[in-house]
Amino acid sequence: MIVLGIDTSTSQTSVALGAQGELVGAVQFVGVRKHDDVVPAVQRLLEWTGVELGQVGGVAVGIGPGLYTGLRVGVEAAKTFAQVLRVPIVGTSSLDVLAFAVRTTRRRIGAVLDARRGEVFVAFYRSVPGGVIREGEYRVERPDALAAELEADPEEVLLVGNGAMLYQREVREPGVHVGFAPAALAHPWASALVELSTARFIREETDRPADVIPLYLRKTDAEIGWDRRARGAPA
Amino acid sequence: MKVLGIETSCDETGVAIVDGETVLANILASQVPLHERFGGVVPELASRAHVEALTPLLDGAIERAGIGFGDLDGVAVTVGPGLVGALLVGIAAAKSVSLATSAPLIGVNHLEGHILANAVEHGPDLAPAVCLVVSGGHTMLVHMPEPHHYDILGQTVDDAAGEAFDKVARFLGLGFPGGPAVDRLARQGDPNAIRFPRAMADSDDYDFSLSGLKTAVLRHVQLEREAGRTVDPADLAASFQEAIVDVQVSKTLRATRDRGVGTILLGGGVVANSRLRERIEKAGADDGLRVLIPSMDLCTDNGAMIALAGLWRLRRGDRSPLWVGADPSLELR
Ligand SMILES: [Zn+2]
Repeated sequence: MIVLGIDTSTSQTSVALGAQGELVGAVQFVGVRKHDDVVPAVQRLLEWTGVELGQVGGVAVGIGPGLYTGLRVGVEAAKTFAQVLRVPIVGTSSLDVLAFAVRTTRRRIGAVLDARRGEVFVAFYRSVPGGVIREGEYRVERPDALAAELEADPEEVLLVGNGAMLYQREVREPGVHVGFAPAALAHPWASALVELSTARFIREETDRPADVIPLYLRKTDAEIGWDRRARGAPA
Repeated sequence: MKVLGIETSCDETGVAIVDGETVLANILASQVPLHERFGGVVPELASRAHVEALTPLLDGAIERAGIGFGDLDGVAVTVGPGLVGALLVGIAAAKSVSLATSAPLIGVNHLEGHILANAVEHGPDLAPAVCLVVSGGHTMLVHMPEPHHYDILGQTVDDAAGEAFDKVARFLGLGFPGGPAVDRLARQGDPNAIRFPRAMADSDDYDFSLSGLKTAVLRHVQLEREAGRTVDPADLAASFQEAIVDVQVSKTLRATRDRGVGTILLGGGVVANSRLRERIEKAGADDGLRVLIPSMDLCTDNGAMIALAGLWRLRRGDRSPLWVGADPSLELR
């Protein structure tokens, strides 16, 4: 079965086609991304690989957390592909994808994505045979809070993701037990997403397209302001 | 020719399928309850809601039309003007449908959609005409000498008509959206009770200004209160509404005379206003003009108007590339 993978949770557009543990092809737009290049990237990938959309048996999508507008474009494109092609879809956290890419480490894994506004999205993982298991929740943190948390725990940890890169100075301070994955792994790759998702397609643990929605982790500013006013605090 | 239309430019998610000028399905997910407490549309909330609404709406439209995605001959989507994040959700979905079905993609100007919505009930013979597009985001007079040829005669220099209704409704404690609420209350009032200024009514251009009127309403209430008099809200609503409608009707009629056209086309959510319909129909009849107004669900934002406008464009051989983007301030031309 060929799986189409799409991740647009960061400033990069990543699409891949994979089958049975093999990467058929991938297209990666790195750097400044335009929000309209996801579907053209899929088209280009199909042309290059000679795969036809009719051969695609499943769609895997990174649901973030990430930068809202770009994330939504990838999620919307992916779920509509699954809907029109009438194939199953699997939505996976983009933090899981980051951690999966460094699963060969023996250290504890911290996946950290830039959340803008001086915050990061973060989740911790542990390697298990064939993959990673998440420990705890997906969270939004300030880098200094994350650094304090790392300092309090002497266990060796490998940080991966563009959030770890961006705040390297802050989160390096806790000590030598904090390491960093290479910059090349700083974004969730659709090829890793496809590999990670394959097991769920095999186990038929798939989602309905309508149920696949981005993992925002934050309310909108308007709602935050509303809640604050409701508590009687100044806006 | 069956064309899918997707509209996500603001706070309504609209999906429709047309076959020629016949609407096979036209369904909508309104976000009004979501934005109500904020008194206006919150862009990020709108974008989130579009993602949740689109999948079931696409399935619903296909089912209601009794076709499959593979039967589509085209995919039309609003590419502007509108909220950029909201537009991008609809555009992403449309591109996927287009690539997955090989049906050509066509990006549609939301304003052209409002104008061409008239073709659904009134047939394709619309031009030459003068079009008045009034909604929450737009107040604009357009000359359409022939199909797909637009000459913008004038537009609002400040607030859109819908915004003015929202603001006055909020002031009167009528809730959001303000248009229908003011309309309802105004029916019990006297439109000539208070003489509000008719901004730019006598200017020889076709522009509109609505922020001054809103201020005049607030000031009037303040002065009356200070004088110890009570203001009848129904009279206030009716008089405010009359001031807006007066200017719109007189400028539209003047444009038909200037351009020598015999047809007026209306479009946009504010066209649902009963007083505007009544006054422009009466004025048109007096002048021997043909006044075309879409029914309510085709006036407010909807997928059918986008599907139809896209179908007209596709018939002319227009196509959009798969990398077409959103243009929040797309102009009508
Ligand atoms: Zn509109």
